[in-house]
Amino acid sequence: MKAGTAASGIRSRTAWRLGLGIVAILVLATLYGLARPGLGQRSAPTNQALRIGITQEFESLNPLIAQMSATFYLYSLVNRALVKLDENMEFKAQLAVQRPTLENGLARFVEVDGVRRLEADWEILPDATWGDGVPVTCRDLEFSWEVAQSPHVSIAGVEIYREVEEIRIDPANPKRCTFLYRQARWLFNRRFQFYLLPAHLERPVFEAYGDQPEGYEKHTLYTTDPANPGLYHGPYRIREVKLGSHVVFERNPTFYGEPANIETIVAILIPNTGTLEANLRSGSIDMVSTLGMSFDQALAFARRVEAEELPFKVNFRPALVYEHIDLDLDEPVLQDVRVRRALVHALDRRRLTQALFEGRQPPALHFVAPADRWYTEDPDKIVIYEHSRRKAAQLLDEAGWTLAADGFRYDAQGNRLRLKLSTTASNKMREIVQVYLQGQWRAIGVDARIQNEPARIFFGQTMRRRLFDGAAMYAWTQSPEFSPRTTVHSAGIPSEANGWSGQNTPGWANPRVDWLVEELEAEFDPDRRLELIHEIMWHYTSEVPVIPLYYRSDASVTPANLTGYRLTGNQVSATDHVERWNLDRVAGAGTGRTAP
Amino acid sequence: MTGFVLRRLAQTVIVIALLSFFCYFLMTLMPGDPIDEMVAANPNMTAEDAQRLRELHGLDQPAYERYWNWVKMIAGGDLGYSRTYRVPVSEILGRSLLNTSLLAGAALVLSLLVAVPLGIWAALRKGGRVDYFVNLFAFAGISVPSFWIAIVLILVFAVYLPLFPAGGTASIDFGMTPMESVIDRARHLVLPVLSLSFLSIGTFVRYTRAAMIEAMSNDYIRTARAKGLSWERVLFVHGFRNALIPLITIVTLSFSTLFSGAIITETVFAYDGVGRLVFLSIQRNDFNVAMVAFMISVSWVLLMNFAADLLYGLADPRITYS
Repeated sequence: MKAGTAASGIRSRTAWRLGLGIVAILVLATLYGLARPGLGQRSAPTNQALRIGITQEFESLNPLIAQMSATFYLYSLVNRALVKLDENMEFKAQLAVQRPTLENGLARFVEVDGVRRLEADWEILPDATWGDGVPVTCRDLEFSWEVAQSPHVSIAGVEIYREVEEIRIDPANPKRCTFLYRQARWLFNRRFQFYLLPAHLERPVFEAYGDQPEGYEKHTLYTTDPANPGLYHGPYRIREVKLGSHVVFERNPTFYGEPANIETIVAILIPNTGTLEANLRSGSIDMVSTLGMSFDQALAFARRVEAEELPFKVNFRPALVYEHIDLDLDEPVLQDVRVRRALVHALDRRRLTQALFEGRQPPALHFVAPADRWYTEDPDKIVIYEHSRRKAAQLLDEAGWTLAADGFRYDAQGNRLRLKLSTTASNKMREIVQVYLQGQWRAIGVDARIQNEPARIFFGQTMRRRLFDGAAMYAWTQSPEFSPRTTVHSAGIPSEANGWSGQNTPGWANPRVDWLVEELEAEFDPDRRLELIHEIMWHYTSEVPVIPLYYRSDASVTPANLTGYRLTGNQVSATDHVERWNLDRVAGAGTGRTAP
Repeated sequence: MTGFVLRRLAQTVIVIALLSFFCYFLMTLMPGDPIDEMVAANPNMTAEDAQRLRELHGLDQPAYERYWNWVKMIAGGDLGYSRTYRVPVSEILGRSLLNTSLLAGAALVLSLLVAVPLGIWAALRKGGRVDYFVNLFAFAGISVPSFWIAIVLILVFAVYLPLFPAGGTASIDFGMTPMESVIDRARHLVLPVLSLSFLSIGTFVRYTRAAMIEAMSNDYIRTARAKGLSWERVLFVHGFRNALIPLITIVTLSFSTLFSGAIITETVFAYDGVGRLVFLSIQRNDFNVAMVAFMISVSWVLLMNFAADLLYGLADPRITYS
């Protein structure tokens, strides 16, 4: 009996081990069956297809209701605007035959009810058609203008459309129309954000649902039928959209301009920046857009590209992005301009940018970036603060802040010179810069306390409602030669009365600057505009409501064999010249080079 | 039994209703609203426009009124409109939910397939080399952060040994046959499933081992063996069945948390799932998406608890539902 049980036990154990082995073999066999050796081995992309990795989410591609940067990056592949801002920071006609100006006679001043106004004649390119062959006309412009101003549609950038009071379409040629602008402003022919909707497809939707709250947004064809070719008139049209995953673009055969070289472009969402490089190396994507790697990641990858001779180019270009520190001018400590100047003198910004960014992000002097024609470093036009701890200490002494034995400064009442320094939490680069700033200010006796917040709280609440009590570090993105109204005019100080709009978060109010901004916006003479902006910059650098830190650069990674691609450094992405991109060059040429 | 089921279902509905109000109210307490975000992005927006948009979206109403409008909308079969993606919620949530269910389901099956035999094996070899090895493996699974294991898997199996895709939900290829599409989907699931399973395997192994050690040390096991029952019968009918109760609890609860636990895995593998969608919608104040996702998650937890209660009765005849 016992012997029988033992034998049965041994048999059972053998069966048990066999069972475990079968499970293991099944799991491994499934994995083996699914594995495809060489699946991820990358080969140089050709003009057949290009896969772009982006880390930011995108939304429905209706340009009027879209808000995300990634959406506009993709939108440039499928549509064009009347004017464009190119990579040389120049505004040029794109869908329009010519950009109207006073000089070419297509724009003129008119008198309406005794007020000087502006009229401009726009003409759309004769060959321009939507993807379904219907011509692009001023009726599309008029329709977009109408939708944008509907009270039932949620559009963030309505002001651009509201600048236009009337659109008169030429009955003989609907490709020609005249815009009457509410105010005579020189910016009228630089509005690359005046987007077009296809009236022949979207008007029926708007008429059916436009009077319901969010009715148009829910039923627009960009949401319900995004692959409809009639929605697009750019070099590409959409084949498939999967929000939260990818968009597939195919060459638009009806595009009126230079045909694109690359047949299919796929934009793939890779939300984790940490895995972008693995995706590049494994061949899941061929390039990373500017909405991809953080600057430090791009720098590190550029070094690896050089060292390992990887078939990529890491592109850098100084952009119109101004990293700075807003100072809360309501804070008693910061009301004294000598303290603010001392804080700037204490910073060695050149060393900071050299150490952290290998000199690829230049130190900032003011809010105008070097790529902008308005930029100046002329000491006669702006106040320049060189790094000098001696001068900083002298200014603080004059302001009544005395250095004590503990290395900090105190006023006559014994209050320590303390400053709260905040920025967006989890932004690694900003947090490193912050520690550097803290150290530099500590050296002149200022006790800077770091207090960071998640971006959502920081931008959504703290900065918008001016609750930062001290110094706040973040960035502004600008267009070239644009009015700094929202950031320096006193009307731009966020308050309950103005619905917390505006970006003058330091609370800087200077009546002369307000006047200069008003003059600047109405001045049609470019030389006079330059004088006006330089005077604004002089006040700005002299009174130091903001500490300039550095100008940021854009970074992207492209395949080594991609030609015709250039970072723009401005708000219009490189996809705006996608028809010039070409992957025809022999793969491998240029391997390991880092673009200037 | 029927009375118990009906009673539990009624309780579940009440809890869902209460939690929906609680979640909605909590979301209204978060700083900022979608219009604040628009104003922050566009400093030129006027106070009048901001107010108009608040009225348009009903954000000017008190929280209870907004909640009531939301309930009416859901009851009418409309899940609402996503202000993040600018599309109806059903359009994005349905697909993501299916993807996450596939991922979570596959991970659970794999975890059970690996963990239960390993747990039993370790229990039977308590204190031996096998037990130490299995314990080490289990603790590694519990302790290693999921993002780290995910990145290691990508580096090893997608970069250095290019066997599986580094990320994504499926290949973007319009020429695939249905069978090829299925295989392609499975191929994209391998690394995320391995990553997600690694943690649950550790947990399940520990529970199975502990429950089996306890069950196998009972007198009835000795009695069963003394009666001359076969080793498998003793192990599975007398031992494993009694060890099932704690295992049912942990498995059903884990299944409900796999959805939230998948956020990191989905993000690292760029997998189009519901976890990432919910995270983004909360970040961007997209109430409609977040609320529907919350409700699904809450309902799922409650249903899984309910399922666990029913399974207890099946596993242990001593449990009745009178």
